[in-house]
Formats: sequence, structure tokens, C-alpha cells
Amino acid sequence: MDVGYRQDPDQRRAREHVQSRWMEAYEPVRHLDPVLVLTALALTVIGLVAIYSAKLVALTSQSLPPSLYVSRQLLALGIGVVVMVVVAVVDYRHVRIYAPAVYLVSVLLLGVVLSPAGTAFGGAQRWIVLGGFQLQPSELAKLAVLITVAAILHEADRRPGPGVGLGALIVTLIPTALVFLQPDFGTSIVFVWTTAVLFLLGGVQARYLAGLAIAGAVAVIAALQTEVIQAYQVSRLTAFLNAGDASAAQTAAFQTRQSLIAVGSGQFAGKGLFEGTQTSLSYVPENHTDFIFTVIAEEFGFLGSSVVLGLLLVLVWRGLRIAILAKDSFGMLVAGGIVAILTLQVFVNVGMTIGIMPVTGLPLPFISYGGTSLIVWFAMIGLLLNIHMRRF
Amino acid sequence: MAIPPSESSSSVLRLTFLAVMVITLFVALFARLWFLQVMAGDRYVELADSNRLRTVITEAPRGEILTSDGEALVRNRPALAISADRQALLDAAGAPVDEEAERVIERLAVLLELEVDEVLERLASQRRSPFRPVPIAVDVTPEVAFAVQERRELFPAVVSETLPVREYPHGTLAAHLIGYIGEISQQELLRPEFADYRAGDLVGRSGLEQSYEADLRGVTGQRRLVVNARGDVLDVQSDREPVQGADLVTSLDLDLQLATEQLLEDGILASREIRRDDGQLLPSTAGSAIVLDARTGAILAMTSYPTYDPREFVGGVTQEYFDLLADPENERPLVNRAISGLYPPGSVFKTASGAAWVEAGVVTPRSTVECAPAFELGGNTFRNWNRGVNEGMMDLSDALTRSCDTYFYELAFDQWLREENADEPDEVLIRVAERFGFGVTTGIDLPGEASGRVPGRQWRFDYWVANRDNYCRQADLASPGSYASELYSDLCQFGAAWRGGDAVNSSIGQGDVLSTPLQVAASYQAIANDGGLLRPHLGARIVAPDGTVLREIEPEVVGELGVSDQTLQVMQEGLERVVMTDRGTGSSAFRGFPLDEIPVAGKTGTAELRPKVPYAWFAGYAPIDDPEIVVVVNVEQGGGGSQTAAPIVRNIMAHYFGIVLAEDAEFEAGEEILD
Repeated sequence: MDVGYRQDPDQRRAREHVQSRWMEAYEPVRHLDPVLVLTALALTVIGLVAIYSAKLVALTSQSLPPSLYVSRQLLALGIGVVVMVVVAVVDYRHVRIYAPAVYLVSVLLLGVVLSPAGTAFGGAQRWIVLGGFQLQPSELAKLAVLITVAAILHEADRRPGPGVGLGALIVTLIPTALVFLQPDFGTSIVFVWTTAVLFLLGGVQARYLAGLAIAGAVAVIAALQTEVIQAYQVSRLTAFLNAGDASAAQTAAFQTRQSLIAVGSGQFAGKGLFEGTQTSLSYVPENHTDFIFTVIAEEFGFLGSSVVLGLLLVLVWRGLRIAILAKDSFGMLVAGGIVAILTLQVFVNVGMTIGIMPVTGLPLPFISYGGTSLIVWFAMIGLLLNIHMRRF
Repeated sequence: MAIPPSESSSSVLRLTFLAVMVITLFVALFARLWFLQVMAGDRYVELADSNRLRTVITEAPRGEILTSDGEALVRNRPALAISADRQALLDAAGAPVDEEAERVIERLAVLLELEVDEVLERLASQRRSPFRPVPIAVDVTPEVAFAVQERRELFPAVVSETLPVREYPHGTLAAHLIGYIGEISQQELLRPEFADYRAGDLVGRSGLEQSYEADLRGVTGQRRLVVNARGDVLDVQSDREPVQGADLVTSLDLDLQLATEQLLEDGILASREIRRDDGQLLPSTAGSAIVLDARTGAILAMTSYPTYDPREFVGGVTQEYFDLLADPENERPLVNRAISGLYPPGSVFKTASGAAWVEAGVVTPRSTVECAPAFELGGNTFRNWNRGVNEGMMDLSDALTRSCDTYFYELAFDQWLREENADEPDEVLIRVAERFGFGVTTGIDLPGEASGRVPGRQWRFDYWVANRDNYCRQADLASPGSYASELYSDLCQFGAAWRGGDAVNSSIGQGDVLSTPLQVAASYQAIANDGGLLRPHLGARIVAPDGTVLREIEPEVVGELGVSDQTLQVMQEGLERVVMTDRGTGSSAFRGFPLDEIPVAGKTGTAELRPKVPYAWFAGYAPIDDPEIVVVVNVEQGGGGSQTAAPIVRNIMAHYFGIVLAEDAEFEAGEEILD
């Protein structure tokens, strides 16, 4: 009696069960990366504590609620998580198609920032105020440049010729120029860096890369020499070189000097939460945004600093892993690009607080106060999850 | 869309390259953090502390200076002051930091009725500490202080504060003794004794304020403030309350000091009406008076005329007043002549020189020497003050009573001959005079005491070496054959020699002998006290603010006259007769003084300082049998000691013994005896 398994209900049930188990195993939702998400959330929580500590005394002395900045950042976190889920759900390959649109919107917003509709603060025009919220389009533009250049390189089918490279370069330089005019030197560097790393990962030949590096160096020197960079930026950029000079108080070197004191005086174990004198007495300027790392370093010492850098390294590790496992070159490029942006911002931001990098206005990912930055970083986490889920 | 294996491995390679770069950057961050936080952390902890902690010094109220019965001669009073933060208003070059600072300074100038330049100058004064507000005006009216407090927005970085300032309830009384205070100088700050002083601190500049600085100063308070980056004070971390300085109780008798000052001034002014034998009025330019407790050496009164007003020094003396004080035309009122004035002692030195000749053995106390009208020596005539009169044979007692110069000339020359013939001359006068307190400081607890001089062979030689070139040049310049030419050629060639004439002059306190009125007082106090030389002192005890006595300043015997009882008795007898007998040179001044109740001994002196009018001296003590006080008066260009100085001493004694109080006293000049 030859009875096929289709006829045998038991066999059929068993087989279908195995098959469905097998299919389920490939369900994207079953391939979330919990380590990635939890690490990002942990960093954000550490950031909230640091922001609270940084602003506690200053806000209390002005009779303002000490949680003012934290509650705003929490709202951004909520939006960020939603954005992360949305970005993760839509197949990232569709993102490739939407990339030009995202790019155009970003460039448009950057143009609006520079128009009278933009808001200036501290000598730089970086924000658009929308219904009580400050939007920083340059953060969004980071994402836009990343996916657009990745898409261009992907379309070139991994053999990018000079034409493709030139196109990608133009795509990069437009927002770079707009951000540079704000002026936001740090973010414009991020754009150039992103494209450079994508060229490296995308298989652009070494000689082109070397040519681009030389051209970039010449451009930077030319910018410094021809006073395209405003004087205050030059002094900020070079101040870290003479941070040890005590007489330079209240000058550009003051920030770096106070920052070094905050970090150094944290010693191995830190002074304890809310015990940092440099932090609570406002010696370090901007210590809830660009100089947030000084709060962690002062109050939690080398241990706390290491935990934060360690968690950031975990993100780098997960990102690289996702890049390696990516199904297509677009996924690999986007994941690799996110790792590159993360690394650059961490190195420039932390490096600036410890006196090995110039003072540029780059936030520390997930930690620094700033809603747009946090939302965009959760969007990037969403992208990583997306690429990871759809790696089969 | 599958990635071909070769491409896959290529992208893994490229990602590995990225990973290596990432790790390298993170390692750099970790390494730098390890260096900053673990290796160099200590240094940054210090920097963080110095950032947030500001040390603020609170002045300790300075101790008071009191008379023996507790009356304040100087005390503190709170004064309203307007001070400003230099660092907030001026840059390193002393110019206003910005337009706002400039406007604040202009408003301040208008409010304080000062020139803008004056405000800038005071604010920029490097003598002030940059760590506390610099006083711009002290003793402002409450309205001015109120204006600054109420209009804070017009006067940022300006404060009105209360500063303790010195107050002198008796005005100029005992100004030279109290002294004054001033801000410590940069040079002083470098000295080890001022190690715990800071720029802007006040320090005793003269008088008791200076000599008892350590007791009067107290301990400054210290507060460590926690400040934020804007400089707002958030917390006071540690607090050391200022410890008030201890009070100095002096031996000064307020009533006697007042009387002495008045009687000296009255006497000096009155003596200017006296016409000398040559028809000129006495200049009586300046003078000093000292009243010592004969038993302890404590100073009961001391004054120097002219004087100055210490109140002008409160909050910083003006240049105008300081110039006034420094002008020689005004006889240098800042000088305390009683301890710093150097004069030839003249005949008041005869006690010391008489004792020296007895000790040398050229005479005994009772052996007699002719008091000839003059003494001839090598073609020079050394006359007795009593011109042309041979007063007959005299012993030491008579020689003092009559102040006979030739008695001392004769003996001085005898001794000089002996010394010249000795292999190693024993210069007796220098030795004995030093035991009498001449040529060395007395050790009084006042700064600026002069040591005077009793010259001898060594001094003459050193002086010649220092001046030889000048002598020789003067000899060349003088017209040949003139007196100047002869004099300077002689000095040029032989000026190193201690000659008979030098010895003769020294024996009557002339020539190159110099002494202070205080040395004379200490010397006569030793004679009155039967031989013990005491250290004169103003301080009696140091008393803590709570009234406990921290230190008693005891009488201190610093030497003995070292003469025989007989010599001392003969000297005392001679000094008694100066006042008590009609023959005595001082008797005219004490006419009408109840000498039978209060017998007085003393010595007149008239020091020649040609071409000036002679300086008048009188040193006396009373009562003779149990001396209570020693009084010394010196009047510069006051003529004869008997004429000007002795009457002032008489009036001071009359006040002390309650015979005629100072307010009722009249200055009555004595006979003009230019001994």
C-alpha cells in the first residue's frame, strides 16, 4: 500500500509542522538583534542621567524643574523608538528607492536652516523651530547622505567607475557645503567621512581613494588659509593645542582646559553621581550637549567612561557583524557606514573632551542632549535591525 | 542577489580594515583616559579644587595701644568704605576692561567727588590684593554707601563695606610713640618675617605699631568659598574666624604725657622770645623731652616737637601731607627726636668723661684741678665757658656743679698723652662712656633708635680713610697759604691721627661725640639709680582681648656704670649742687621750685654746632634721696641749657609733683650759661 504522506494526515501534519517551523525560522521578526537594541537603550539611559546631573544645579538655581531637559530627551527617546520600529519594519531594500526623496528633503531643510526661517544660537544657524521643537536637519542629512551614497554604489553593482564616484561625491558635497555655511564644521566632516568609508567598503580602487584623501587635505588647508572658516572656528579648532595655559581662561582654550580638569579629576572611580564640582558649578560649558562626556568622566571616573565606551564598542561590534552578514552590498554599505559615523562621532566628541581632538560641535551618539540626534540614531539602529532581519 | 564568493571575501577584507581602524581609535581614547584619570588624576583634582574654592581673608581687628591706666591712645573704629573689584573693572594694563567698566568708574568718580584718574590709580594700586575689593574711598558718608548699595545695576563690581580703621582719641598725642600703619610693600613681602602677610595687609610703619606688630596684628580670618564658573558664592566650606590682635598697655602716663607735650611746646615757643647776649632771638627750632621712671626705666612720657597728625595716615596718607612732613623747612616732624635725634651731648656728657678720668687714674674723685679760664694746646686755646674767670681749684663734684670745661680739658690731655705713649692705648673714655650708655643703643622698644658715637683712634682713622680723597682735593683747590689750604693739607696728610685737641673736645661732649636724648636719659637714670643701667621701655604688658595678660614687660638691667661708690657719690653730689646751690649752673631755672621738699639734681649742657645757635640740654632727676623720675629735655638751637632746657624740666617736674600743673605753668627762662 503506497500511501503518500499527503494522504497520511499524521505524516502530513508532522511534515507541515516541520516546514512551518523552518519557515518561521526565517521570519524577519525572529531575527531581531536584542543586544543592539538593549545597548542603545542603555546608552540613552546613561545619557539621561548625565544630562540630569549636568543641569541639576543650574536649573535649580534658576528655580526651574531639574528634569526639564530630561523630559524633553525622554520624549525624543519615545519618538526615536517608534521611528526605529517603523524603519525596521519596512524592508530596507525599499529604502534604496526612497533614498533620493529622503536626500532631497534633507537638502531642502538644510536650505531652510540657512534662510531667515532658521534659528541661530551661539554664532551658528543650525535649527528650525517647529511647534516648540527644535529640529536639527543636519542630523537627518547624515542619514540621507549615508543611504543615498550607499544606493548609488549599490546600483553601480560593486564596480564603481569614476562616473559613479563623481556622482556620489557631488551628492555628498552639496549638504556638506550647506552645513559648513551654518557653520558646523564637525557635521560637514561627518558627511565627507561617511562617503570616504563607503567608497572604501564599496570597492572604489585604492588610487582613487588616495586621490580623494589628498584633495580633501588640500581643501581643508585652503579653507583654513583663505579664512573661509570663521575666526572663532579656527580658534576653537586649535585651542586644544594650548589647553594647559592657565592664562587662556575665558578664551577658546578655556573650554578644553575645564573639560580636561573635569575628566582628569574624576580619577579611577569618579566623584559620585551629582558630586562632580566641574559639572555642577558650570565650569565646563555645554556639558549637557557636546561636553556631556565630562559629566560621566568626572562623576563615574575611568570605570564609568570605560563602560560607556565599552557599550559604544558593543554597537560597533554588532554593526560590523550585521555588515558582514548582510545579504546585499547595500545592506553591507549602510551597516558599515553607520559604524563609521558612530566611530567618528565618538572619537571626535570624546577626543575633544580629553584634549586630543579639536573642539567641534559633534554630539556624543545616544548620550548628548539633542532630540534630532537621538531620533536619527534610533533610526540608524532601526536600519541595522532591518538589514540584520532580512539577511537570508 | 547573491554575492559571488570572491566579492564576499573582498568585502569582508574591507570591513576588517574598517574594524581595525575603529579599534585603533577606541584604543587611543582608552589610553588617553587612563593617562588623564588614573595617572594624572591627582593633578586634575587639585586644579578642580582651585577652580571652585576661593580663599577670602578677613582682617583681624588690630590690638589697641593703651596708657598705663588703660586709656586708649589708638583703637579701631568701623569706617564706611567704597571698594571695587579690580579684576572685574581693569585689565592687566590698568585700563577699564570695556565701556561698561569705564562708565562704572566715571559714575564712581562723580559719586566720590574724585577725578577719574584718581579712581583708576587707587583701583590699580599694586599694593592692594587682587583677591578682595580695593578700597577706593574710606570714611564715606552713609548716603554714599547707600547710593552704591541701592543702585547695584549702576555699580557692578563695586561694594560698600565697613573697614576697621585706626582711631586716635587724643589726636596727635604721643604720635611718635604710637607710630602709624601702612600697607606692606612688595619688598617687605619677600622678607621671611612677613611670610604670612599678603599684599594689601597693613603693617606697623613706625613707633609701637611697628615694634609690637606681632602682638597687635592678630590672626586674619580665612573663609573658603565654593564658587561656580560665574563667581557666585554657593557655599562656605571652612571658616577660621579672625582673632583680634592683643592690646599693648604702655607705661605712658596720660596726664604726664599731655603735660610734657604742652610744656615742651610752650617752652620752645616762649624761648623764641628770648634775646641772646648778642641780640639775636633764639631760634629754638625743635626739641624733645623724656620722663623716665627712675626705678624701672619705664617711659612715663616722651615727646618730640614738632609733631604730626597720625589721623592723616588713616586709609593711606596723601602725597601732599607726606611732602609736608618730608620738607626740611618743617623740621622733619616724623622724626622722633628723643630716640633718633643725634646731638653733641655737650656738658651733660661730663659725668661719663669725669668717671673715665677717675678710672684712668689721672685724677681721684676728690683731688683737685685748677679751673683755669683757658687751656692751651699746641697753639690752640680751649676756653672755659666762663670767659676770663679763674674759678680756682676744683674736684669732680665742683667741676660738675660749675660745669668747668678746663678741668676736663686738662685731664683729657693727660690721659691722651698716656695713651699716646702706650704701646696699645687703652681708650678709657670710649669704654666708660659705653657703660654710661653712650655710643650704643639703649634697646628701647621703638624702631629707629640711633646709637650715637663716642669717637676714638679707630673711628678717626676710618673716617680719614673714607674722606682722605676729599681732603686732598680741597687742599689742592684752596688758594695757597690760605687757612683752608693749611687745614686741608694737614687733614690730607695727618688726618688719621687722634690728636690732643680731639681728646680735649670729646671730654666735654663736643667734637665728634654724638648722642640721643634717650641715651642721656638712660645714663642719668643709672646715676640716679645708683649704678644700674636699665633698658628704657614703653611697653608694660600685652593683654589678650579677653583681658588675660599674655606677657609682662619687666624692667631689664642691661649694664652697670661700673664706678666706685665714692665716684658715684661725688658725681651725685656735683649734680645736686647744680640745682640746689646758687653756684650751680642749673639753679637759676629752679628759682621758686620747692627744692627743700623735692630736692632736684641735674646737669646743664650747651652743645655747640657752629654756625648754629647752641643746643640746650638739661638732664635731671628728683627727688634726690629716692629718685622717682628722670627728665631730659633738649631744645635745638635753644641757647644755653640753663636758659631754655632747664626751665622746661623744672615745669615738667613741677607738674609731676603736683606743685604747678602744666595748664598753669609759665616758661621762665634761666640764666644764659653756655656751658
